[in-house]
Formats: sequence, structure tokens, C-alpha cells
Amino acid sequence: MQIALKGLVIIVGNYGSGKTEVAINLAVHRRRAGVSVRLADLDLVNPYFRTREARGVLGRLGIEVVLPPARYLNADLPILDPAVAGLIRQPSELTILDAGGDDVGATVLSALHHVLAEAGGQVLQVVNPLRPFTDTHAGCRRIRREIEAAARLKVTGLVGNANLIDDTEPAQVIEGYRFVKALAEESGLPLVFVTVPHHLAAACGVEDWVCPALPIRRQLVPPWIRPADLGPDSSNGLKTS
Amino acid sequence: MGKILMKGNEAIGEAAIRAGCLNYFAYPITPQSEVAEYLAKRMPEVGGVFLQGESEVAVGYMLFGAAGAGERVFTTSSSPGISLMSEAISYIAAAQLPVVFVNIIRGGPGLGGILPSQGDYFQATKGGGHGDYRLLVLAPASVQETAEMVMMAFPLAEKYRNPVMILGDGLIGQMMEPVEFPDHLRTAPSDKNAWASNGMATRGSRQRNLVKSLFLDPEALNNQNLLLKSKYDRMRREEVRYETYNLDGDYRVLIVSYGTMSRVCRTAVDNLKAAGVEVGLLRPQTLFPFPLEAVREAAGRPACQAVISIEMSMGQMVEDVERAVCGIRPVHWYGKCGGDVPTPEEVMDVVRGLMAGGR
Repeated sequence: MQIALKGLVIIVGNYGSGKTEVAINLAVHRRRAGVSVRLADLDLVNPYFRTREARGVLGRLGIEVVLPPARYLNADLPILDPAVAGLIRQPSELTILDAGGDDVGATVLSALHHVLAEAGGQVLQVVNPLRPFTDTHAGCRRIRREIEAAARLKVTGLVGNANLIDDTEPAQVIEGYRFVKALAEESGLPLVFVTVPHHLAAACGVEDWVCPALPIRRQLVPPWIRPADLGPDSSNGLKTS
Repeated sequence: MGKILMKGNEAIGEAAIRAGCLNYFAYPITPQSEVAEYLAKRMPEVGGVFLQGESEVAVGYMLFGAAGAGERVFTTSSSPGISLMSEAISYIAAAQLPVVFVNIIRGGPGLGGILPSQGDYFQATKGGGHGDYRLLVLAPASVQETAEMVMMAFPLAEKYRNPVMILGDGLIGQMMEPVEFPDHLRTAPSDKNAWASNGMATRGSRQRNLVKSLFLDPEALNNQNLLLKSKYDRMRREEVRYETYNLDGDYRVLIVSYGTMSRVCRTAVDNLKAAGVEVGLLRPQTLFPFPLEAVREAAGRPACQAVISIEMSMGQMVEDVERAVCGIRPVHWYGKCGGDVPTPEEVMDVVRGLMAGGR
């Protein structure tokens, strides 16, 4: 089963749920399927472990990365680039907005409310049940309510992202898949896709899942670890639309 | 419970609860604010208290008061916030109270920046506040070790009736790693009835406990300082902790590095080894007491030609390394402190330069 996402996709979730890693890998996955992709970093809360760290490799793959103005990159000030509104008004085939964590991070979406309402699009909540506060369905629902209130947007779908980074085992991925599948059924929301560390996809039996799997090649790493190889740099060989 | 994925800042909060500390006073500051966010949610669940002070100055004296009353208490902050608390830290050390401080260091001096730094080494190990006091300083390098050191810090603070500081850079607070907590508390109850002003009726004693830092009589103040010194000397004997890496072979260069910087160095040591170059790494886990003898011994090995302190500061720990090496080997320094953490490749270049005699 393939991920077929197009249009405007807004990624939300509690901080540390893996939004940015999911957004980067989703962008690469769709670009490889020939879709033109833009990725905007709207995290105004925290300058650590952000999209910008992968901008080089993303650029080489032909993905346009929109970052906060350079002089504010290392500040923790809530400054939103007006260019983002333009980006939403003139979307590419797939435009991914990576919001900041929790309700605080999602507040920026409220400022874009009028543009987002016009543009439509999907709001995906990323859930890692191996994180504090989202280890129960009640916890996931609570953070969803808080984000919806702060962003003035409804979550339209769920993304499962169960992982312990490098310590992830297939059993945890499978258990995480079941957790978020049950959460989706209970909430009446579609399960849009579930992530899997790329080397564990076969061991996790992703072919039998009710939703597509997004293989993750980790890009946001501390300085002593190399980001995973995303494959050939150029976009040669990708079909263009 | 099994492993969960946590930011260092969250692990600090959870570890304090697991160590039986239910009092947390703090003021938010990047890059440690997630501790406050986490404990704002968690403390009410376990019957604990998170109280945000109106400033770090106020927080310092809230800690003093609670610790004086015998409560297990801690705070977290980042560099400028610790500067503001430094007066209270001196008072707390003078009054011999156990308090745990966590400093998730950001770039300085002044407002500096909010990215990782190790620029508060001197502040933590050599003073910060006034007078002849010391902090026992623990420096973790992973989220798991951060949790363990926080859980260890409370009994250590109570053992010495002295503040203990966890010194981590911004990365320690912000990075996510799997972490596992013990199911049961590992800390024994404090012996607070022997010293806390928690009420004679409360402890069923006719002994009056007095918490103070004022000694106007010169002989009394000298004796007080001798008493404090005896505690710091005991820390030097009993609390030195460090980890070594690749010190078995005939390394030509010894790197001394702590915290997340040491993990960059570890990758560099692996890469150099793969290229046939042997480099040793010694990582102090306690910055005070500093592992003087271990560094001296490692530097003195016959094949070792040079020692280098690699730190995210402009040459602070290198002074302790020089003190350890006592001139038996040349001691060098390499560091950065703007927030860009040196890469393994940079460290490899620096080490190769040393071996070529270029530095």
C-alpha cells in the first residue's frame, strides 16, 4: 500500500513525537514517487533538532525547504515569516507544514487560520506511544484537543510513529501500530500511515497493515552520529509531473 | 517498566520523582524549560509540588527554605538563571543543606545564545557564588546517565549536606534517547531530623536544630570553613568518577572530554582507530572532584605524547587537566562555544595536527 498524500498537509503532535523526522521522510518518500514537494518549518518554539539540519540533503533531492528568516534561526522568538502565507496560497503538489510541539507549537497555525481555511488540507497528528503523555489513548486524545483549540483546526488523520530511535525493535513497532490503529477506530479518524525504521520494514510485516508504511531513515541526529543515507543526490530518474 | 523515549529534560524531571523528590521550584529558561513543562504535568499526579518563582533569585531562597525545613528539593535552570541563584547557592552550602541543582548550559557570557555550551565549568567547579564552598558536580553524557545521576544526586547531597549540581549542555536537555527507570525508589529516607529546623514536636526531640550561615566570631567562622573543607576533602577521596575508552592500547594522544562533547570524541577515536591511529579518551563524570590521578596516570603512559582537553568552552577544564598532568606531558586545548558542536571530523583533524607536531 502506497502513501498517496497530496495538497496541503499540516503535521502536528506533542513535542518529541517525531513530527520533523516524519515530515522530512514523508517529503523524501513523495519526492521519490515523482511528486513536487515543499516543506516548511513552522516550529517557532525550539531551535534544536530541526528541519534545517536536513536542508542540504533535501535540497539535493529537489525538495524546497522553507525555513524561518536566517537571522532568527537560533532564537526562541515567535516570529512567523510572511512568506509562509504565500506558500500556502500557492501550494505545490504536496506542501508539508511542520508545526512546533504541543498546543504551544500549534498556536502559530492559528495566526494562519484564514489562509489555511481557504486552502483546506489535512491535519495529521503524529503519535509515538513510547513517549510520556501519549502512552494511553486518553493522553493522545487530550493532546489532540489542546492542539485543535490552539490551532483552530481539526485533526483529520493520525500517523503512528512508535519508536525508541536506534533501540527500536519490531515488537514495539507492531505494538505501536496496533495502538494507533485502535486509537483511529475509536476516534473515527483515518490512520493515514505508520512509520517503520527502514531496516525493520520486512520484520514488521508491513504488507499486512491496513494503512501504508513510511520507512524512516533518520536525519535528525546528534553531532556524533551520521544521518542515514537517503540515496542518490540528484533528482535524475524521478518522474516529473 | 520498559524503555521509553525521552528528552533529557523530561528524564531529569522523572528521575527526581523516582528519587523521592516531590518539591520542584524553578523559573523557565531555554534550553531547560521542558523540565518545568514536564513537572507541571507530573508533580500533581504524584502529590508533589511545582512552584514557579517570580525569578531565579526567589527560587534560590525557596530552595534554601524548603531544604532547611528538611524537604527533598531541587531546581533546574540554564546559565544566566544559575548566575542569579549563585548567592543562594553560597548560603545553602554554608548552611550545609542538601539541594540538587541542574544547569543545562547555554552559550554565554551574558545572554549569549540558547544553543549547547560547556561555558559554565568554572562557575560550577570553582565557585560562582562567594566564599569557600564547593559543589559536587556530575556531568552526564547520555539521557540514561542524566536520569541516573539525578537519582544519585539526592542521596549524595544528603550524605554531604551540600548542594550537588548536574552540569549538562543544551544537547543533554534537548536530545531524545531511550531511557529506563527502576520500578522502585533507590533512595533511603533523609536523616533530616538530625539537622533540619522542622519543628521539635514534629521530630519528637528536645534538640534545637538551627539552620544558619552567619558566624561573626572569627574562630567560629574558621572552624566552620574547616568543617566544610573536610567535607570537600572527603568528596575528593570518595566521589571521583570517570570513564575511559581505548586506554588499553598504546595511544599516542590522550583526549580528556566530558558530556556530549565526549561522545563526539568517542566517534573520532573509533574513526581514528579504523585508520590505524590509537587515541585514548578519558571522560570525567565528576568535574568536582576532578579525576586528577586518573588523568595523570593516563597521561604518563610511555606511548602518550600529548594530552588535549576538548570542550565546548574557551579553555576551562584544560586548567584542571594541566593541574593533573603536572607538566609531564604537553597539554593542549581545543573548543568552540557558539553553539556549533565540533564534529568528529574536526576532532580527528585536531588530533592529527597534534601528532604531526603542528600545534
